[in-house]
Amino acid sequence: MTTDSPSTAPVASTDSTSDSPTPEVKCDIQISIKSDDDKLVLKLPTQKEFNGSWYELWSQFKHRLNGSERNWETQSVVNLAAQDRLLDTRQLQEIADALNEVGLNLKLVKTSRRQTAVVAATAGYSVQQEDFNDSLVSVPKKTRKAASLGDPLYITNTLRSGVEVRHPGSVILVGDVNPGGSIIAAGDIIIWGCLRGIAHAGVKGDRQRRIMALEMKPTQLRIADAVARAPEQSPQNLTPEVAYVTPEGIRLAPALDFGKNYTFSPSVKAWENLSKKLGKTPKK
Amino acid sequence: MTKEVMTRIIVVTSGKGGVGKTTFTSNLGAALAAMGRKVVLVDADFGLRNLDLLLGLENRIVFTAIEAIAGECRLDQAIVKDKRIDGLCLLPAAQSRNKESVTPEQMKQLIRALAKRYNYVIVDCPAGIEMGFRNAIAAATEAIIVTTPEVAAVRDADRVVGLLEANGISKIQLIVNRLKPEMIQLNEMMSVEDVMEILAIPLLGLIPDDQRVIVSSNRGEPLILSEKTSLPAIAISNIARRLEGEEVPFFDFMAAHNNLLNRIKRFFRG
Repeated sequence: MTTDSPSTAPVASTDSTSDSPTPEVKCDIQISIKSDDDKLVLKLPTQKEFNGSWYELWSQFKHRLNGSERNWETQSVVNLAAQDRLLDTRQLQEIADALNEVGLNLKLVKTSRRQTAVVAATAGYSVQQEDFNDSLVSVPKKTRKAASLGDPLYITNTLRSGVEVRHPGSVILVGDVNPGGSIIAAGDIIIWGCLRGIAHAGVKGDRQRRIMALEMKPTQLRIADAVARAPEQSPQNLTPEVAYVTPEGIRLAPALDFGKNYTFSPSVKAWENLSKKLGKTPKK
Repeated sequence: MTKEVMTRIIVVTSGKGGVGKTTFTSNLGAALAAMGRKVVLVDADFGLRNLDLLLGLENRIVFTAIEAIAGECRLDQAIVKDKRIDGLCLLPAAQSRNKESVTPEQMKQLIRALAKRYNYVIVDCPAGIEMGFRNAIAAATEAIIVTTPEVAAVRDADRVVGLLEANGISKIQLIVNRLKPEMIQLNEMMSVEDVMEILAIPLLGLIPDDQRVIVSSNRGEPLILSEKTSLPAIAISNIARRLEGEEVPFFDFMAAHNNLLNRIKRFFRG
């Protein structure tokens, strides 16, 4: 992470590329809020994807809601895709209240569970009961397409310890990632703030993905199957940096140099420094 | 109605145990009462209650919050008044029960009932982020985070701030407890700036480390009430005044520590 050599500013790095294949990291198992035409779709993870307590799910939901408040127009209509989750009257009410707080109106509940459908109907919402396997919700269909990523996720609050954001696309965070917090994304990760926790870009194996932050003080960086630790001694003057994969593991470069000097080489599945290749010494 | 609005329900929490939540709560309560406020301290640490010990009120407890919730006694029967200082009361927790014996909804009702009669309801939260924590924060409208300048304490405090925010408590202020100026100077301890950079919440006060705190805890007499003044006691009355809206400058412990004798000591230590 030294700034004198933009090409291979080293991170104490352990490259796990050649080791046994790491199990797939899931990045689409969290609550998602997406716009669909003129309404929003709030999708809960299925029982299989998330089997923690209601309280944990609730914290995750509130965090996501607080962090993306400005992304929609007020008084938008929300459809809740509850999937196979059992919701009781109180839980449904809590969801509706939280949506109300940020100016959203819950109108329709889609569920594959009879009980949840009854609860929702009793509470006065429109209900759409559907077979779980034959999902009518448009959101999961999109993510099932192999190569394409989901829409970027834009969040505007600090990820404190214990908060984990998983997203099947790129993540843009305006705020810090504190130690103990983490972002796991299938796409790039852009942090307009200080990265002190863990960031994992290209979770589905894409080594072209990058992690960008105004200040890089990470606990750990991961891109696709490569892992790097920060050096023991954190450097003093920190500039915005980009983390990328080289054949030797993850490296950092000053953000301003990166766009000009680096290109991704599909043959070695890593980034290469153009100026070095041409025999030029990089401008300092 | 106006009286209800004025009541401040503050939860004192930290995540990590042993950072001084309960000691701070007892002293803050005494300091606010000394300023003429009506204060009730609520011990939310069911099963591991300590607040009564620090206040020296253990032998006067007849009923606890559990009985009040169950309707086995009136609320005012469970409240213990501190005889040394007017306006300071304690609602003790039950020692024989555990944290699952109360629900957040019950705590909310209990504390709302208390709020009608006092200026401050200060809830002493147990360590951890489980049921006890959720009970303690249920009715709170603001929070005070107590942390020490240690990596583990700050990490847990950060987690708790996130949970408080998720639960709609946005007025959160920070106390950095047990500061040791000599260690910070030697770069052996996190500085207040380091702590603030991670937690990013407003600072309410700094409390220096002092052995007299242990003595006063064991005696069951809040440091605030003792005749001799001490640095921690001054720090806590300053915190009480800041809560009341007064602008009190932060005491510079580093400067106070940087006297000639200490400088000579450091010089010889190299």
